[in-house]
Amino acid sequence: MIAVLVMAGTLCHLAGSGAMIQSRPPETTALDIPGPVPTERPQGPRCIRQRILASVLLLAGCEGPQSALVPAGVDAQALHLLFTTMLGGAIVLWLLMNGFIYWFSHRHPAAFSEIAARWLIVLGGVVTPAIMVGALLVWGLTLLPDQRIAGNGLRIRVHGEQWWWRVAYQPPGTSGPIISANEIRLPAGRRTEFILTSDRVIHSFWIPALGGKMDMFPGRETRMSLQPETPGRYRGQCAEFCGASHAWMAFEAVVMPPEEFDAWLKAEAKDARPPQQDSARKGQQIFRREGCGACHTLRGTEAVAQVGPDLTHIGNRHSIGAGRLGATLDDIALWVRHTGDLKPEVHMPAFPHLEPAELRDLASYLKGLK
Amino acid sequence: MTNQEHEPLPDEERREFSAETGSLWRLTLTPLTWAMHLVLCYATISLACARQLFPVEVARLGLIGASVLALGFICWQGWRAVRQWNVLTTGVLTHPNGKAEDRHRFLGHAATLIAVISAIGTVYTTLPLLLLEGCR
Repeated sequence: MIAVLVMAGTLCHLAGSGAMIQSRPPETTALDIPGPVPTERPQGPRCIRQRILASVLLLAGCEGPQSALVPAGVDAQALHLLFTTMLGGAIVLWLLMNGFIYWFSHRHPAAFSEIAARWLIVLGGVVTPAIMVGALLVWGLTLLPDQRIAGNGLRIRVHGEQWWWRVAYQPPGTSGPIISANEIRLPAGRRTEFILTSDRVIHSFWIPALGGKMDMFPGRETRMSLQPETPGRYRGQCAEFCGASHAWMAFEAVVMPPEEFDAWLKAEAKDARPPQQDSARKGQQIFRREGCGACHTLRGTEAVAQVGPDLTHIGNRHSIGAGRLGATLDDIALWVRHTGDLKPEVHMPAFPHLEPAELRDLASYLKGLK
Repeated sequence: MTNQEHEPLPDEERREFSAETGSLWRLTLTPLTWAMHLVLCYATISLACARQLFPVEVARLGLIGASVLALGFICWQGWRAVRQWNVLTTGVLTHPNGKAEDRHRFLGHAATLIAVISAIGTVYTTLPLLLLEGCR
């Protein structure tokens, strides 16, 4: 925020200088300016308005589905409280220090007694910082175990790939896991455990609105748990640089009321729905003809490969390409045709030879997989 | 040391400095204790958690004991440094002159401050041992 305010101030300043240059007598040119143009700090309501506008614009950036500043769960709330306390403390400290500077340089510039100066150094420079840093350390350390407390039964295994997420739901009392990808749904008000692993490189699993992040390592399991409270759609993002498309390795996190979640999970466990319309049936043939099943699974069909994301219920997801695009028919067609352009170095090949009508049919088939 | 009588001044200085050997050790020992405590904590917990050489709870309790010893040693050295500084009896904080006594007390002053920092650092390193259990 400070940076934007400074920028706004600079813009005001430049605007002010521009006005001054224009007000110079017409016979002088830029070349024969003898010295620096007398500058004056621009003032007036315009600059104040610009600064307020800049602040409002910047504060608007604190909103949105991927903001740790708008917590939607117990874990994010704990971190938010720590953050706001530290921010408040930093502001108080900043005001105090600048107040001291102002007080001792302008209001009370007399010499400071040596004893008082020494006490100021000992108390302000050693005792207070040591106690404050110690208190923050204790607070932070007591928060750490909370990130891994046991859940209410549901476990989700997330495996980081370049650059997408394998997701396997393991509800209590079921035999096999329910496989999905690139979207994570969670019941509100319940604590869900995550078991995190990775394929080839280190990733980091982070849903800022719901809690802290946790690294995912190849060949090692890490764990965390989250208790979301507010139903809604949030955005998760890989938070550890993992290659060319790291920035495009995202996912939707959907928090649902518990009953809705249970119903959804039951549906998610079912096989893929056969195509209902003509265009979708044509799309299914294209899916087979182009060999999509060599990488993707559609449970209940002959497509059982596990190279790429499971597409059994892709029609229910809110995004495709691991948060790269929305999930409209156009988005799916665009993704299939321009995969590598949308996600550099992705393993999935693009299918530029497909006709627009074929792409639409394929998209219609996939969108129908609910 | 056969040339002592020929060059009295440098030798005098050397003798004065060598008289401060103990002070210099005291100055070094407290941060060294802090550093060794840090390495010991990290290494022991890593060996317990990553290599499972011994139970982590045993490692934790052992390290808490080691922390008490380290802190005790730093406090003892710190107290000796305060006495060398001699501020409690004289009330004089600074040592502007370059005489041997000033130098002696200055080293006590410096060792006191370093002991304080080392104690704070050791306490910070110990806090995770007290507040976190297990390897995660």
